[in-house]
Amino acid sequence: MASIRLHELTKRFGRVVAVNRLSLEIREGELITLLGPSGCGKTTTLRIIGGFEHPDGGEVFFGDRAVTGLPPERRDIGIVFQNYALFPHLTVNENVAFGLDVRGVPRTEIAARVAAILDKVQLGGLGGRYPHQLSGGQQQRTALARALVINPQVLLLDEPLANLDAKLREEMRFYIRHLQREFGITTVYVTHDQAEAMVLADRIVVLRDGVLQQLGAPDELYRRPRSAWVADFIGLSNFIRGTAAVHDGRLTVRTAVGTFQTSGGAAGDGARDVLVVLRPEALHFGGDHPNRLAGIVRERAFLGNLLDYRIECAPELVLRVQADPSRRHEPGERVELSFAADDAWTVPAAEAA
Amino acid sequence: MWRRHLLIAPVVLFLAVLLVVPYVNMVRMSFLVKPPGERYLNVFTLDNYARVLRDGFYWRILANTVWYAVLTTALTLVLGYPLAYAIARAPNRRRPLLLMLLIAPLLVGVVIRAYGWLILLGRVGLVNELLRALGRQPVELMYNVTGMTIGLVHVFMPFMALSIAGALQNISPDVERAARSLGASPWKTFWRVTWPLSLPGVFAGMLLVFVLAVSSYVIPILLGGNNVLVIPMLVVQLLLDAFNWPVGSALAMVFFGLTAILLWGYVKLMNRALRWSLR
Repeated sequence: MASIRLHELTKRFGRVVAVNRLSLEIREGELITLLGPSGCGKTTTLRIIGGFEHPDGGEVFFGDRAVTGLPPERRDIGIVFQNYALFPHLTVNENVAFGLDVRGVPRTEIAARVAAILDKVQLGGLGGRYPHQLSGGQQQRTALARALVINPQVLLLDEPLANLDAKLREEMRFYIRHLQREFGITTVYVTHDQAEAMVLADRIVVLRDGVLQQLGAPDELYRRPRSAWVADFIGLSNFIRGTAAVHDGRLTVRTAVGTFQTSGGAAGDGARDVLVVLRPEALHFGGDHPNRLAGIVRERAFLGNLLDYRIECAPELVLRVQADPSRRHEPGERVELSFAADDAWTVPAAEAA
Repeated sequence: MWRRHLLIAPVVLFLAVLLVVPYVNMVRMSFLVKPPGERYLNVFTLDNYARVLRDGFYWRILANTVWYAVLTTALTLVLGYPLAYAIARAPNRRRPLLLMLLIAPLLVGVVIRAYGWLILLGRVGLVNELLRALGRQPVELMYNVTGMTIGLVHVFMPFMALSIAGALQNISPDVERAARSLGASPWKTFWRVTWPLSLPGVFAGMLLVFVLAVSSYVIPILLGGNNVLVIPMLVVQLLLDAFNWPVGSALAMVFFGLTAILLWGYVKLMNRALRWSLR
């Protein structure tokens, strides 16, 4: 296993900068997700780590070893693609054996290692099948087995669950996490699905237009986003525009619908024009939190475990509130809302547009 | 149900009149007696087949014909594969242009192209004039096996390249990337992944080119001249020059039968090699 270090990585395609001076350290045994909308440079970054693309600038290190100029076959990596990329002309056994075979591992050892890993991914007994005779989930696990059997230094996963149906996808998230922990392998996981990133990652790298937006643990990204864009991309957010000031050691924001205490954020960096970020579950009906505002219920939707309200607090300020379905508020009803200072975060307003 | 069948009636009629009827007539002809001085007698005989099968000359020409076709197939494969690879791996924007360039020669008739080769390969053609200018001996490139093979390879190349390019384009680049990630060099990746996955196209292209080459007539006549004899030429000579319709028909039938057996065996082997692709 090895850590991965990216230093000032840049990749251009024509006039488009796909990856822009990306620097990043991934610790040994860590699972990191590259998260962002399509075209944000996450797959390009993965391909550069894998050696399938050559960067226009910057360096890639595995541990202390500079691998920037090395072709993929000399990097010691395992990779799983969105379409699995199994070899259609080879059986499951032959697919998994491929990496060992080209490395010149003796036949008896190959057979033993292939059988062991197929057992581990619960494909024992299917070794003689061709890929097209497998279900999507089985193909997925074959691809994982093929990548892991060579004990690579680094595991690269390129949207590996995107082609599975919703239920299987959820199961596989936990399965991949479990497998990754068991092997203790440094893993880079590319996805555009923030829920997937949240479940899987030790840390998440949020990318936009090839530029790193924020790097942090899932709860850190959720609770302390650095920009309105990150707050909006990860989870649901309400934004209230206002002016920041410090009162009694607390960061307070004066807005059109009241003055609120917050737990910090952009206002701490000295910005004056800020957005208060409120997650839908941070807003409570009634309650005795110090931050209060009132509004009218405009819409209500049933989500099963939650009720999803849209509440108009001022013209052009509609807040989304998700609350326990035991107490219902009807559309048209006037309601009081409150939230704790700890649940309110601020981001700069400047780049909110 | 019958309405749908009605839709294919015109084409069935067309093929029946222009293909099946002449064929059946030819089969019938191959079993009729050929008396000297007359075209044929409506009397059943197996003599025509006996004559064809017993004559070593026919067997030798048959062997030559198959050999030329195999040679042509092998050469189009060796030259066409890299071409197909280049087309399949070209950027999406450029591929249509390359495909058009590949197909463009088909817009010109075979006869005209054969005369084009004459200008290049003839005794006073471009190549020999160039050699002469360099003080070298001229070479015989026309009216022999060399000339015919050059012509056949040229004419059938697009069929081979197109069919291989189609197979190559079906291979996901990720499959090749996966092989590289597992430790295979580009060379190993080609031989263990790309090549086997392109075999459906290779086999189809070989089949197509072989069938076209073994039955070709115009190119051998124009570029092989009097120094090359293949079965289709022989059949035409028997039918039109010797006016021996029964023996000519019998030879055509034997040729057809042997080629069919050859292809049947080929398809069997092919299906075994491509078992993985059968769903």
